Formats: sequence, structure tokens, C-alpha cells
Amino acid sequence: MNKVSLSAQHLVKHYGGVVALADGNLEVNAGEVMTLVGANGSGKSTLGKIVTGVVAPDGGRLLLNDREVVFRSPQAARALGIVAVYQELSLVPRMTIAENIWLGHERQGAGAILRDTEMRKKTQELLALFEGTTHNHLDPDLPVASLSPGEKQIVEILKALSWQPSILFLDEATASLDSRQVNRLFELIHEWKRQGMAIVFISHRLDEIYRIADRVTVLRNGRTVAIAPINELSQPELINLMIEGGIAARTNGKQPGPTQTEEILRVDALSTTTLRGVSFVLRRGELVGLGGLQGQGQTELLLALFGAIPYTGRIFLHGQPITLHRPQEAMRHQIAYVPGERNTAGLLPIQSILDNLLLPSWKQYGFPLRIRQAQEDATRVTNVLKLVMAGLDAPVNTLSGGNAQKVVLGKWLLRRPKILLLDDPTKGVDVGTKSEFYKILSELRAEGTSILFYSTDDEELLGLCDRVLVLHDGKITADLSGERLVHSELVAASMGSSA
Amino acid sequence: MKRRISPTLIALALAVFLFFVGGLIQPGFTSFELAMNILRLAAFLGIVAAGQTLVIISGGEGIDLSVGAMVTLGAIISYGLISKRDDRILIGLLASLGAGMIIGTFNGIGVAYLRIPPLVMTLGMATVIQGLIFAVTQGSLEGGSAPLLSKITTEPLLFGIPGILYIWAAFAGLMWLLLQRTRYGKNLFAIGTNRVTARLSGVNVNATVITTYMLCSTLASFGGFIFLGYYERVFLNLGNPYTLPSIAAVVMGGTVLSGGVGSYWGTMAGSIVLTLITSLLTTLRMEEHLRQIVYGAILLVLLAAYGRQRALRQ
Repeated sequence: MNKVSLSAQHLVKHYGGVVALADGNLEVNAGEVMTLVGANGSGKSTLGKIVTGVVAPDGGRLLLNDREVVFRSPQAARALGIVAVYQELSLVPRMTIAENIWLGHERQGAGAILRDTEMRKKTQELLALFEGTTHNHLDPDLPVASLSPGEKQIVEILKALSWQPSILFLDEATASLDSRQVNRLFELIHEWKRQGMAIVFISHRLDEIYRIADRVTVLRNGRTVAIAPINELSQPELINLMIEGGIAARTNGKQPGPTQTEEILRVDALSTTTLRGVSFVLRRGELVGLGGLQGQGQTELLLALFGAIPYTGRIFLHGQPITLHRPQEAMRHQIAYVPGERNTAGLLPIQSILDNLLLPSWKQYGFPLRIRQAQEDATRVTNVLKLVMAGLDAPVNTLSGGNAQKVVLGKWLLRRPKILLLDDPTKGVDVGTKSEFYKILSELRAEGTSILFYSTDDEELLGLCDRVLVLHDGKITADLSGERLVHSELVAASMGSSA
Repeated sequence: MKRRISPTLIALALAVFLFFVGGLIQPGFTSFELAMNILRLAAFLGIVAAGQTLVIISGGEGIDLSVGAMVTLGAIISYGLISKRDDRILIGLLASLGAGMIIGTFNGIGVAYLRIPPLVMTLGMATVIQGLIFAVTQGSLEGGSAPLLSKITTEPLLFGIPGILYIWAAFAGLMWLLLQRTRYGKNLFAIGTNRVTARLSGVNVNATVITTYMLCSTLASFGGFIFLGYYERVFLNLGNPYTLPSIAAVVMGGTVLSGGVGSYWGTMAGSIVLTLITSLLTTLRMEEHLRQIVYGAILLVLLAAYGRQRALRQ
């Protein structure tokens, strides 16, 4: 294998008016592991996607072995030896392990006949790499659907390997692996390094980064702020690099929390497929944030508390144990859930604003439905929300994104929720609407509503919440409040560092 | 915002147009008697298509291909139980409605809980019903319609208008009430638009789906009961020609095949148009086999044209 090197210089990427990447730099050479770290929204995944050909940059350049290259597709990048393993699995469940691994580059003999035996043999060789780390013996003919998440991830890694990459991207590839499998992967990475492969390793686990990385690239707000050998940076130094202003992280001026201490909700050892024993208490009128990197179980926690997914563990409301098997049961306890994906989970796009606002509440309007009463109630809510609209009968998809999101919140206001579960509600919402949104939340708190608020925007959490629970790998790694509610603590806990 | 012309109005305009085209071909076509007769037949199709309207609004590829077979079963049950006696009309009606409820509940459970695609579930159910009919009748049909039933449905009741049209008008009012002024109606449009949103807003999606299929079969069975009043006789596949028209009437009326949008007014207009087309083909003195071919082709063209709306929404 030739000595490869890849260098990304001053990459820029905009999505609409949003700058995802302002100045992204990354370099990796043969025989080294480069790790890429950054907080939420730092541009980590955008940078990874550009370098592997998934998205095209708006500026900057890519040098492969000192020659400028432009990738029009992931296939183009792959043809030059750059292969990525993504966390979101790309396997076809009904196909076998062997078929999945060779999908797209099947070995063909004369007349395009697939060389089955050869592919099976190669698959067996690949599977042997992880021999002994899986619960079941993996056979090339097993359908992928029958595998555990960890085993699927292994197949995903082997699939990338079958392309014989010279530069391998591992994006959160260890997230679903157990410790034995991670150990084996790290052994293999050492072996691949010796063979001259260049590896870019993206992980949210700090301990893994320190175990495997040679160098680290730190991203902050879309800019590469440091490229350094890992042994020159201590954990606190690395975390400081990831946050604005370094160690002097600022505390936002925010209103003091409520003085009430009445316990509303108690969650005890809650587990789902993602959550691993989450316990906490929510008090009356309290606004508690859920923080951490994306996909650490925050959404699952909210869905479980809304009865929308199965869980184990105990939930107490006002000290009384309750069970939540269906959203209707949660609603009966005056629990409300505002999903983050408003178009797929929050709205009925082609229906009227009225029908969207009233959907959870029709029960209260008798038979035949008292439409005039419903219109009056809906009008009251739209006034509270300051909704900009043509009329209650206008389809909800004629609203702007921010106004549409207000409708998703508004449909619960009619029911006077005791507990409001918010799943990243301000994502893609303009600044003006955001501040109106915050105002509504503080009014709700004043009336005694308790709010559990997941946001991928760290600033928002710090500025708004009384307390922030930080999730990492399905567990709460920190309960930050008062003096500890600062960005450095939040980022450290997000990376699983329990300092 | 661009305002589209209501599909109901388009279908109504088409009906009026076809009516006068009929008059040009044969002067007698525009007579009051013939118009009433056409509306009478449209009422029957309209009642069968009412349930189809609900099923299609419910979304999730919703469609009921068992309505034809259900019409037959409803007619045969009524025929057997009424046996030419006026005092048994009510029993015949209730029994046929009950059979519809049971069959429809099975359809709904298959679609909602077993996640069988509606197309497959209801097509399979059509075969099951056909088998049931053979089992019940053993090949021989005994019974009859009652004079009162024919009188109510067929003969002029008031102002020379047959009773069935009054029934249809009242029925249309009830359908509007069901769709626009009940929680079920609101939930039906919600699940047809976005089942995730509906579920996360506290709608019991499965219960709504099952209720919808149950209503559809029940109304088809009611259609069979009406059929008996019209023709006073039954045969083993009398409902089969109505399955496809029931779908065509619904989509012509502006109910979108992908769900979440629709009205019963539209379905009524669609039923009138389709019935007019059949009458026109008869007026043209086309031979039976040719008439079937032309009618089938028209249905296909209509479904293809309206089915394109599916592509307009993601």
C-alpha cells in the first residue's frame, strides 16, 4: 500500500442561511489514527460527510496525496480508497451477511455470473476477524435481520473493510459494540495502522479517544480550533478547546428557579432499549433540561414518559406509582409531549390549524362536536401563541416553520398540562419565535407546569433551565445546577467524563 | 394561496352535462321519470360507496375490495329472513347489518393488528364471504322480498320522488355529521393524514381503523338490503359489479387515495356520474359485452386520472 495522506483545508458548508461549517480542517496520514471531536452543532458530522463524498462543500479544498480532488458521490470517494462506516446502519435486513458485505461490488465471473463460493470464503475470512467476540457464531448465510445491534455494526465495519480502504472513517462505530468487541476493533486498528491504513475515528467516548487516537482535531462552532497529538492534551484541556471562551465559561443571566419544592414526578431506574436505568425527580414549576450529545436516549426518555414506547422501571406522579402503556394514559395524567420532528410526528400537515390544535381535545366537545366552542378555545390559544396565520381554517402547512412549531405546542395548552415534555422544540426555528417560545414556557412554569426540555442547543439549556440532566450512553452522567451549570461541565459530562 | 375548484362541483357539472348529452342522443332521456330512476340507482351505489369513502379517508393504503361480496351477502340474508313478509323486514335488516359488522370487524383487525395490507385482507375476505354464501345457501335460494320494502325503496313516495331518495338525503346528513361533527370523524381524518402525529396526540389508531372497516362492511350490507327492495330477487354474485364503481365514485368525488382528504358530498356526485354513464351506455344500445368493456375502461381511466393525486403528496 502506498503512503496515503488526506488533507481537508478551509472547508465551508451552508444549509440555507445556517453555517454548518465555517472553516473545517482535517488531516490524516498513513499509519495513524486521527480523532475528530466537538460538541453538538460543531460541524463534526458535516466535515465527515464532505470528506467521504456524501455532501459537496461550498468552499475549501480536499487534497489526496497532495493532489486536489473533488468527490461527487460517496462512490467516487470509495473509488479512491476512502470508505466510511456510519453509525446509522446501511444494511439490508433481509439479505445475508455475505450479500450485504458484497452489495455494490459483487465478485463477478464470466458473463456476470456471481462468484458465490469466492465471496463466501472472503466473508468467512472477514468474519474471522471478530471471531469469539460475538454471542453467536456468525455465518455468511445468516440474514442480517437476525443479528444483534452489535453484530450488525460488526458487519457494517467488515463491509467497509471489504472495499480495502486506504482511509477508513469510523463515525461512532463503537456506540453499539460491547467492551470485548471494542477491544478487538482496537487490536485490529493497530494492525491496520501497521499495514499503512489511515483512520479517522469519531466517538463521543473520551476514554476510547485517549486509548486509540494518535492525534486529535477539535471543532468548535464550525471551525477547526486545534490539531494536536493526543498526548499533549489532558482531558480538561481538550474539553476547554471544545467550548467557547475556554475555561472561563460563562453563566447566562437567568431568572432564579421556583422556590416550590413539591415533587411532581419521580422516575426510578427507567430503562428502554436505549436507556439504562435513569432516575430523577421533577418538581412543581421546574424547568429541567436534558443535555448531552444527540442520540444518547433523551428522546426515548421523553417518549417513555409519554407512554409511547415500552419501558421498565417505576414512575411516580405525586408520589403515586403510575404505568404508562399508551399516550392516552399519559394524557389522562396531564402529561404532554411536543415532538421535535414536527412534520412527521407533530402535525397533520394538510389539515386546518383548528383541527391540529383540537386533535388531543375533541373528547371534551361532546356530540355533535360544539365547533363554535372549539373555535373560541382555539382562538384563545392562537392569541397566547401570537400565531401569524390567515385563519383557523387555513391548512397548517401554510404556516412558517416557527409558527407551525407553535401549533404543536399549542395543541397541549388547551389541556393545561401538568408535565410538559419537549423534544428539541426549537430546532430550525427563527430567533424571534424562539424568544416567544421561551416566554410561553416561563408563563407555563408560573402556573405550575413542570417542564422537561431536551435541546441539542447547549446555550439554550444553560440559559433557560434550572437544572440540566446530562445523558450519555443511556445514563444520566451529571445533574448540573447552580454554579456547576456551565458549559465546561455540560460538555465534559456529554463526553462521559464523570469528573 | 391558490384555491382549487371543489371536485364535488366538477363531478356535479359532469353529471348535468352527461344528462343533457343523454337527452341529445335520445329525447326521452331527460324525462323526470328517467332522472328519478337514475338517481334511485345512484342512491344504491352511493350507500355502498359511503363506507368505501371512510376506508379511503383512513389512509394507510386503505381500500375495501370485499364490498361487492358483502352486498351479495346482505341481500341474501335479507331475502332469506324476510321471506315475502312485511313484518320481518326489520329482522332482515338487523341481521344483514349484524353480518356486516362482524365481517368488517375481522377486516379491521386484520388490517390494524395483523398489519395485513388492506388490499390483500379485503380481497381475501371477499373470497371468504363468497364461500360463506355458498355454505349458507347450499346452492338453492329460498325466500323473497316484501311488498312494503319494494314500496319504500322503489315507488314514488312524495312529489313523485321515490322513498329511497329521501332515505339517501337523510343518510347524507348523517354522513356529514359523522365526518365533521364527531370525534370519530376528526380522528379518521387525523389517521389518514399522519398516523404518528395521531398516535402522539392520543388518538387510538387501531380502534379507529377497526371502526372504519366495520362501518364499511355494514353499509355495504345495508346496500344489499336496498338491492333486494329494487330487484326483489337475488343471485349469487349480484354485488360483484359494484366493488370497482364504489372506489371510482369515491375518488371522483375528491377523496384522495392516499387518505386524509374527502367528503361524502363528493362520493354522492361521483355515484350519480357513474350511474349516468351506465345509463348512457344502455341508451346507446350497445351490446352487453361491449358495454362492460367500455364501462370497465372508463373506470380504469377515471381511477388512473384521479390516482395521480397520490403522487402530489409525499
